[in-house]
Amino acid sequence: MKRLQLQQWSGSALSPRARPACGRLLYAGLRRQTTVSSTTTDAAPAADAGVATSRQLAQAPVLAASSQMSRRLLPSPPVEAARESAKLAALHARLYLPSRFPLETLARTLVHASADPNADFNNQSLATLGDDLLAYYATEHLLCTYPRLPLTVVFAAMYAYVGKKTLAAMAREWGVELAAAPGGEVDPGLLQFHRITPGTSLNTGPITGTTRPNDDRTSWRRGMTSRVVYDDHFGEPTMAPGATQQSTSNITPTVTAEEASATFVRAIMGAIYLHAGRPAAKRFFSQHFLSRHLNISELFNFSQPARDLSRLCAREGFESPVAKIISETGRKSRHPVFVVGIFSGKDKLGEGAGSSLLEARSRAAVAALKGWYLYSPLDVRVPSSMEEDGAAPWKPVYIDPGEVVV
Amino acid sequence: MPVQGIRAVTAARNGVGAFILQCKRLDLHYCDWAGSSRGMVAFLKHQLPAFAKENPQIEIRVSPRPHKHPVLRGHYINGREKAICVRNLEPEQILQKANLLKEASGEKLKKQKKPVTSLNESVRGIWSPYHGDLKSV
Repeated sequence: MKRLQLQQWSGSALSPRARPACGRLLYAGLRRQTTVSSTTTDAAPAADAGVATSRQLAQAPVLAASSQMSRRLLPSPPVEAARESAKLAALHARLYLPSRFPLETLARTLVHASADPNADFNNQSLATLGDDLLAYYATEHLLCTYPRLPLTVVFAAMYAYVGKKTLAAMAREWGVELAAAPGGEVDPGLLQFHRITPGTSLNTGPITGTTRPNDDRTSWRRGMTSRVVYDDHFGEPTMAPGATQQSTSNITPTVTAEEASATFVRAIMGAIYLHAGRPAAKRFFSQHFLSRHLNISELFNFSQPARDLSRLCAREGFESPVAKIISETGRKSRHPVFVVGIFSGKDKLGEGAGSSLLEARSRAAVAALKGWYLYSPLDVRVPSSMEEDGAAPWKPVYIDPGEVVV
Repeated sequence: MPVQGIRAVTAARNGVGAFILQCKRLDLHYCDWAGSSRGMVAFLKHQLPAFAKENPQIEIRVSPRPHKHPVLRGHYINGREKAICVRNLEPEQILQKANLLKEASGEKLKKQKKPVTSLNESVRGIWSPYHGDLKSV
């Protein structure tokens, strides 16, 4: 399998570039992104980064002289402040980030695009890469482990693993604190973003400007298959890049704390990939994301389980399902219990208990459907395991025809 | 649509994959003048550098608090804090207190009644009166 060359496509995220003069002429050229000392290596040791920082401090005596005053004029903390922050060093150690991951990059992942619109100093590029990595690792895990999951449940499970809410909860559980307002004088160990004004409505009606055709037709159905083509990995419409820029060009963008925290976690993932490489990124994903607890059988919401089960049996060539009472008690009493099993020929597909015959039958059908959909093969391998050195030859994973179409 | 997905959030299991130390900050307060801070000042001079070095996950803040007893205060990820007054304690005793704050989860102390708490379902299942051989009265 051909290896990707990091240098060829991650140059914009890694290369040291000067901040262009955008109204702050005094500081243009003084402030540099020094996540990596040179382009010859993508893994700068911490010592190198420290040397680079001190060199730039010597170049900028003006900045050093009135550093406190000049920092107030910057939108986000200067790069050299990362080495002085105790919070940042503690966060680096708390997450067991590799030593090749410099503190300056960690500081950059904590600056949201709403705090600093300059793409060289905010975490937007890292978050884009991290989002793709998270989606890739989560998708391959779900599709290989549970090959029969219906698409709606795959979307829900993706949201549970790498959705906005989960990422925000993770940032909170990592002990990341939020800055009240962004600025150059703020401790770089705090998450910096412009908060949304209290009282702003977050549900602003139908979304337009997405990548979907005819998105102004709100009454048109959004089918499951079209979500795979047009929408993001949670089945939500994605905004077209041109539309978002137009809406945010005139006013200062503001975000919720949840969105900013999620962006930070994505950016950490992207930065680990760039600085420490693919194995470290995969290990970080399995340790922090896959290790969290999710009961996938609780993500199903059936509307007509008995109908779905009979369709499924017809498709798979099983005998049509028959519900039979296994045991019952107190039929004439105030609290009867029926235990109903669903049989296909001689095989019992599922069983459920309920206080009425219909309830017990639908519970049994749900149990039978979950037993089918939650099938998981033994010895699951994911495609990204082929990227390891000395990986065994790839054997095709189990692919299912998919959920039943009613 | 035959089946809908229900959106949920995964639950953290600290220590299953990665372990996050719950103590995120330790504040140490001392007084230069008062005698109750003598042990604390010795701790700050001689033992704190080693303690900070072996616990890089904890942000350590040292600040004077004149005319007051010395205090250790731990801040935790769950938002709570724990404070211990270390007046007249020897440096070794203060180190023990600092380790106690480091190892705490930040939760209120409560009695653990079950030997195991888990998010996973029990393998054995819940006993049902309707299965197995029925007992006749």
